[in-house]
Amino acid sequence: MNLSTWLLIGGAAAALIWSFVRDRQKTKKSIGTARGMFFNIAGEITGILALIGLFLALVPEEVIRNLLGGSSLFLSTVYGAAVGTVTILPAFVAFPLAGSLVERGAHLTAVAAFITTLTMVGFATLPIEIEHFGAKFAAVRNLLSFAAALLVALGLGVFL
Amino acid sequence: MKKWLKQNRFIAVAAACYLVTFAYSREVFWRAAHTTWGYIIEMLQVMPAVFVVASLVTVWVPREVIMRNFGGQSGLKGKLASILVGSISAGPIYAAFPIAQSLLHKGASLSNVVIIISAWAVVKLPMLIVESRFLGIQFAAVRYAFTVPALLVIGALTHGFLTRDEVLGDAAVKVGEDLSEEERIAGVLPGYDCGACGYSGCEECAFAMLRGEADASACTVACEQTDSALRDMLDAQQ
Repeated sequence: MNLSTWLLIGGAAAALIWSFVRDRQKTKKSIGTARGMFFNIAGEITGILALIGLFLALVPEEVIRNLLGGSSLFLSTVYGAAVGTVTILPAFVAFPLAGSLVERGAHLTAVAAFITTLTMVGFATLPIEIEHFGAKFAAVRNLLSFAAALLVALGLGVFL
Repeated sequence: MKKWLKQNRFIAVAAACYLVTFAYSREVFWRAAHTTWGYIIEMLQVMPAVFVVASLVTVWVPREVIMRNFGGQSGLKGKLASILVGSISAGPIYAAFPIAQSLLHKGASLSNVVIIISAWAVVKLPMLIVESRFLGIQFAAVRYAFTVPALLVIGALTHGFLTRDEVLGDAAVKVGEDLSEEERIAGVLPGYDCGACGYSGCEECAFAMLRGEADASACTVACEQTDSALRDMLDAQQ
């Protein structure tokens, strides 16, 4: 576990203790709410994570590398953004992978698009987002983020 | 039964896919299972704490405080506060949704909610360090210099496409004309099915409201806006 996860858990525990001291009844109620929300969504998240895991096991790294290092810079960037959109990778996997992609000839711009959409745009997490905010919000946020990721990548390409 | 199916549809699909994969290639199966296991551990570490924080915010933080700091009038300070909330938080993007939703219900503006979600995903100090190590500090610095303003633009643009009320009432959009009053009310409720109101789910709570057993403010998660929308619907019924 990294530091920020510890901070989150510690913060939640501290808030819970503070709340318990202030008002037992309210705290019990909010634990009930939290538990309900967790069990309501945990199954869905688990299923989605399992599908992403399978997807990544089926698609070899070479495929991603070829997509991000094609002859056309623009197409590679769009592919990078697209691959980032459909996958979810934890940072400690994503950055070493991105580093190795650059070493083996992927375009920097394409890698930037890949990393940005990887974190900000979530095709896989779309059902969870819809559950919380509705379909319209999810569509608008993801499309805007996708466009922004392309612009960030192109801007970075101009600079570096 | 319907609810159970809806909640478990992805698990069912995943189980079927894994079975096929197991028959076809043990190696791919175990590789996939290993990756998935890592993800599940991450989820179990983060999500319980996230939901505890989300529900404590709902119960304790007064609406005015959220409005002042993250509402439509909060200006640049609100945007910076949103980036800060997103960037100090742990966990993958789906962990941002419950927190952002409870802030939205408490009066945060739509653009700040979008900024929180995006910043949660991309603006992270530990990630910046890892990124500089593998891709060079120049790459990481330039990418951040472009990304942070981009977040603010995305937030502002979202306002052009959607309004806060629209998102809060999006459940009502989901609900067609031909649905029963009970389903209409259940559509306005947050849909957490958390059971904190004392009923087993939002639909049951809606039914109790219709029968007059539960008050329009029975839901512990819904914001005042939702409560008053429910009151209007119930009044129209009588």
